[in-house]
Amino acid sequence: MLRQPLTRALALSSSSRIAPLGVRRYAEALAQPEKVEVFIDDKPVYVPPGTTVLQAAAMVGVEIPRFCYHERLAVAGNCRMCLVEVEKSPKPVAACAMPVMKGMRVKTTSDLTKKAREGVMEFLLVNHPLDCPICDQGGECDLQDQSMAFGSDKSRFTDIHFSGKRAVEDKDVGPLIKTIMTRCIHCTRCIRFASEVAGVDDFGTTGRGTDMQVGTYVEKMFLSELSGNIIDLCPVGALTSKPYSFAARPWETRRIDSVDVLDPLGSNIVVATRTNEVLRILPRTNEEINEEWLSDKSRFACDGLKRQRLVTPMVADSRGNLTPVEWEDAIVAAAHAIRDCPPNKLVAIAGELADAESLVALKDLVNRLGGENVCTEQYFPMGGSGTDLRSSYLLNTKIANVEDADFVLLIGTNVRFEAPLLNARIRKAFIHKETDVAYIGPKVDLTYEYTHVGDSASIVKELATGSSNHEVLKRLQSAKRPVVILGADQLKTSEGSALLAFTQELALRLQDKLEDKEWKVLNVLQRTASQVAALDVGYKPGVGAILQDGPKVVYLLGADAGVVTRESLPKDCVVIYQGHHGDVGASIADVVLPGAAYTEKRGTYVNAEGRAQQTLPAVTPPGKAREDWKILRALSEVLGARLPYDTLDEVRHRMAEISPSLVAYGDVQNNNYFAQARVLAQSLQKPVSGKLDVQLKQLEDFFMTDAISRASPTMAKCVQAVLKQKQSPY
Amino acid sequence: MLKAISTATRLSMPTLSRSLPAFSTSSSRFASQDPTTRKEAPKIDTETVIALPAEAKEKQVYESQICVPTKVDLSPISGVPEEHVRCRRVRIYQPPKNAMQSGTNNIHHWEMEFDTRQRWENPLMGWTSTGDPLSNMKLQFTNPDEAIEHCEKNGWVWYLDCPKTEKEFKTKSYGLNFSWNRRTRVSTK
Amino acid sequence: MSNIAKFLALDKVATFFNIIKQNGGIRGSLFKLYRQDELKDGTLVGEDKFGNKYFENPRYFYGRNRWVEYSDKFHMNYDGSQVPAEWYGWLHYKTDLPPHLDPNRPKYKWMKDWNENLSGTTGQYTPYSTTRPKIEAWEPKSKSTV
Repeated sequence: MLRQPLTRALALSSSSRIAPLGVRRYAEALAQPEKVEVFIDDKPVYVPPGTTVLQAAAMVGVEIPRFCYHERLAVAGNCRMCLVEVEKSPKPVAACAMPVMKGMRVKTTSDLTKKAREGVMEFLLVNHPLDCPICDQGGECDLQDQSMAFGSDKSRFTDIHFSGKRAVEDKDVGPLIKTIMTRCIHCTRCIRFASEVAGVDDFGTTGRGTDMQVGTYVEKMFLSELSGNIIDLCPVGALTSKPYSFAARPWETRRIDSVDVLDPLGSNIVVATRTNEVLRILPRTNEEINEEWLSDKSRFACDGLKRQRLVTPMVADSRGNLTPVEWEDAIVAAAHAIRDCPPNKLVAIAGELADAESLVALKDLVNRLGGENVCTEQYFPMGGSGTDLRSSYLLNTKIANVEDADFVLLIGTNVRFEAPLLNARIRKAFIHKETDVAYIGPKVDLTYEYTHVGDSASIVKELATGSSNHEVLKRLQSAKRPVVILGADQLKTSEGSALLAFTQELALRLQDKLEDKEWKVLNVLQRTASQVAALDVGYKPGVGAILQDGPKVVYLLGADAGVVTRESLPKDCVVIYQGHHGDVGASIADVVLPGAAYTEKRGTYVNAEGRAQQTLPAVTPPGKAREDWKILRALSEVLGARLPYDTLDEVRHRMAEISPSLVAYGDVQNNNYFAQARVLAQSLQKPVSGKLDVQLKQLEDFFMTDAISRASPTMAKCVQAVLKQKQSPY
Repeated sequence: MLKAISTATRLSMPTLSRSLPAFSTSSSRFASQDPTTRKEAPKIDTETVIALPAEAKEKQVYESQICVPTKVDLSPISGVPEEHVRCRRVRIYQPPKNAMQSGTNNIHHWEMEFDTRQRWENPLMGWTSTGDPLSNMKLQFTNPDEAIEHCEKNGWVWYLDCPKTEKEFKTKSYGLNFSWNRRTRVSTK
Repeated sequence: MSNIAKFLALDKVATFFNIIKQNGGIRGSLFKLYRQDELKDGTLVGEDKFGNKYFENPRYFYGRNRWVEYSDKFHMNYDGSQVPAEWYGWLHYKTDLPPHLDPNRPKYKWMKDWNENLSGTTGQYTPYSTTRPKIEAWEPKSKSTV
C-alpha cells in the first residue's frame, strides 16, 4: 500500500501545483453558505454545511470517542470508534467522516451507538497486548480511557487454540521514538502527520488485514525535525519517547506550564518534573504560536539541562585554572575586576538564552557604572532606523497569520530548521490554502515545493526595484496577502544593511498596494530567543566594533555562540561569564557565576513576533546556581552601584518603564512606522553582489545549536543517527 | 439593599389609587416619591396585605439582602502567614490539554496555583521536600472571575495566563483526501 | 587463727597488701587505679596477641570475676571493642575455656586479625551514595599543568 513514488510524482511535481486562482480560492467560495440545523441527542445546533457529525457534536459539548480522527490531520475514518446512530440510517455511521444533512438526528448515547462502540473496542482489544503495566503510555492512553468508558465489561477473547495474539516486529525509527508495534491499532495518525504536517512521506502501511503493519517499509530513521509529535499523536503506546522510556508515570509528575527558548518562536510547553528533575517536555496548545506541535530540539533537549551544568561559582587561580569558590569570593573577584576597569572598557555581551530580566539588570548595571557597551551576539545592521523601529526586526505578519498568506517569499532563511513550527505553518498554508512559496538562498529541503529564485543577494534588489523579470515578482504583485520573510543571519555580512533596505523596500511596495490595510508583509526572522528582548531593551546588536577597542572586562551573560574568543581579546582582559552551562563562554572565563536555565526561573522572553511570554520555575537551580537577575543585583551591591530593585515585581516594573510590551504577557502589538523605516533605509540601498547562505542546511545541523542542546546526549545521538541514515542506501 | 427598600415601600404603600392620597403610614413617603410620577399602581400580593405588622417586619428582614462592602480582605483573619500572602503570586489559568491524550473532560474549568518554590533533596533517600505549604494547593473555579475574586479576598497577587486555545472552525472533509487538484490529496496510507 | 584474723578483718588487710603487691607496688597500683579506676587481684588466665591481659578471680562475685587489662600501648584510649572475638566469649561467660586452651577453635591462615571499632577516628567507615548525581557539573579544563 506504499504508493509513495507514484503519488509523490502525482502530488508534488504535477503542473496542478500552480493552480489557477479560481481553484485556489476554493475555501473562500464556500465561506458564507446557509447554516444547517442538526440535532445531536435532540439538542438543535446550526452548523455550516459540510461539517462532520463529530464536529457538530463537539459544538454542543458532546465528545464522540475517536482514535484515528485528529482535528489537525486529514480525516481517515478507519478506526470506526466514532460510530453513532443516525435516525433513519440503516446502520451506524462514522461521525468523523459523515457530513451533516439537514434535520439529521444523531444519537450519541443510544443503545445501537453503545453496542457499536463496544464491538469496535472488542475488536481493537483482541489484537492489543495486555501490557499496560509496563507500557509507557499507561495513564495517558486513549485506548485505556476509552475501553474504560465505552468498552465491554467482560472479555470474549478465549484463546482456546493458544494461537496467541497478533505480534508485530518493532521498527527502529531513530533515537527519539521507541516503537512497540504490537500495540499499534492502525489509526494511521503518525502516517498522516508525517505526510501532512512534517512533510516527510516516510511512514505507510504494508499488508492487509491481520498482516497490516505501520512502518517505513525499509528500516529507516524518521528524518524530521517534528518527529516527536507522533509520540503525542499515537493514541496507544505503540510510539513512545525513547529518552523518557520507563522514567515515570504521568500521575507522578508535576506539570508546570512554561515557554520554550530553544528557538525564536517561544513555543508553549509543559515541563513534567519529578524529584526536582525535568523528565520530559510536552507541547501546550497555543493557536497563535505552536498550535499543538513542538520541534524535536525543544522537546528532547531537556536532558541537556542535567549535563555540563555550572553548579558553583568559580574563579581562576594563579595558574589560570578555574577553581570552585563561594559566592562571596566570586562576586568580590568580579567586582574587583569591574571596579578597576574604566567604564568605556567594560563590555557586556548577552547570549541567546538570556531572559529579559537579566538583560535589563545587566544594562542598568553597566549604565550605572558609566558604560554604554552592552551588545548581543547576533548582529543586526544599525544603518537607517536600525533597531529604533520595532517593525524592522520582528515577524510582523505574526505566526498564525502566515496561514492566511497566499504567497510567501523566503529570503536567506531555512525556516525548516531555524523555526520549525513556522515552517509547519507555511506548509499548512501550502497544503490547505494552496499558498505558493518562493525562496532565495541555497537549495534546501523545506518539506514543500517552492520556486527557487536563486541564491544571489542581487535578486532581492531586482525584486525591490521592480527590474526583475522573474515570474515571482508578478506573483508577489498579484498576491492579496504576500509575506516576505528575511533571515536575520543574512544581515551579519557587510551587505546586510543593504539587503534589509531592499527587503523593506520590496515589502513596503507590496504592502502599499494591498486592499487589506492591516496585513503586514515585512518579516525578519531572528535566530535566538533573547534577541528581540535585547533589541527592545536597547542592546547594540553585534560585538564586532566594541571588541576592536580592547576591552578590559568582558561580561558574558550566557554568551556561548563563540563570537568572543580569547584570541580576540587583549591578554590582560578579565572575562566574567554568567550562565548555566559550561560551554564556549565558561571555558574562556576568569570568573564564572552560575545562573539558572529556562526551566529554573521566572523569566521573560520575547519571541520573534514580539510577543512577551514568561517561563515558570519548574525545578530549583542546581547547586549554588541562582536566578540571573539576582546575581547581577548582588554584584551591583558590591560594586556600590546598587540596582533599585529587590524583588521580581520591581524588576518587572523597571521593564515596564523601558517598554510596556515586555510585561504584556501573551499579547503582541501591531507594529507601525514601516514607511518611516523604509524612508530611513533608502540611502542604504547600495548594490549587493554576495550570495545568500544559510547556517542550518541539513537535519544534522538542526539538533545542536545552543548551550543546552549541545550538552544534550539525546541531541548528540540524533546527529549520529542522521549521519548514519545518510550513509544508508534508503 | 435596593430590594429591601422596595419591599419596605411596598409594605408601606396603601392599596389605593394614586388619585387619592389618603392616609399614610410613612410621613416621608411624599417627600421621596411623588405618586404622580408613577405610571402604574403598585402591585402587592394578598399575603402582604393580610400579614400582621410583626410578620410583615419579619418577612422584610428575610427578604432584604445584606450588602457587604465590595472589597473584602480576608488576609488578616484567614490565618495564612504573612509571608504567604504578601510574597506569593497566583497564576490563574485553564489547565492545558494533555498533548498525549485526545479527551478533554477534566479541563473545562479554571485553576489557580501558586508559584513554585525551592525544593531540595534528601541526600540519603533522594526524596524531595519543599518548605512550601501551598505547593499542592490548586483550587478549581468555573470561571476566572471567581478565581480573581478569591485571590483578591485573600490578598494574593494574581495574574491571568490564557493562551489562545480555540481553533478557528474549519469543516473537515473526507473527500479532500481524494480531490484531484488540491494539495490535500494524500500520498500514503 | 584464721577466724580471729577474719574477725579482726586482718584478711582484708592482707588482701589489700596482696593487691598492691600484685599490681607492682604503690606506684604501680596508683597508676593502675588512675588508668582503670579499680584495683583487683587475680590469676592471669592468658594474654592475646595485642597484649591485653585476661584475669580471673572467683573471690569477686559473678560478673566481675573475669576482666581484662588492656595493653599499655592503648594508653588511656582503651575500649571494649579492643577485645578480640575469641576472648570475648570467655570474658562474657559464654565459655569457660580460654581460646588458647580450646582445641576446637579453628585457626586458619586466611583469618583476619581482629580490628577494633574505628568510629570517631580517621579510619572510620563513611557511607557514600552509589546513585548517579542528577546533575552532572561542568569540569573546567585545566589550562596549565604547572
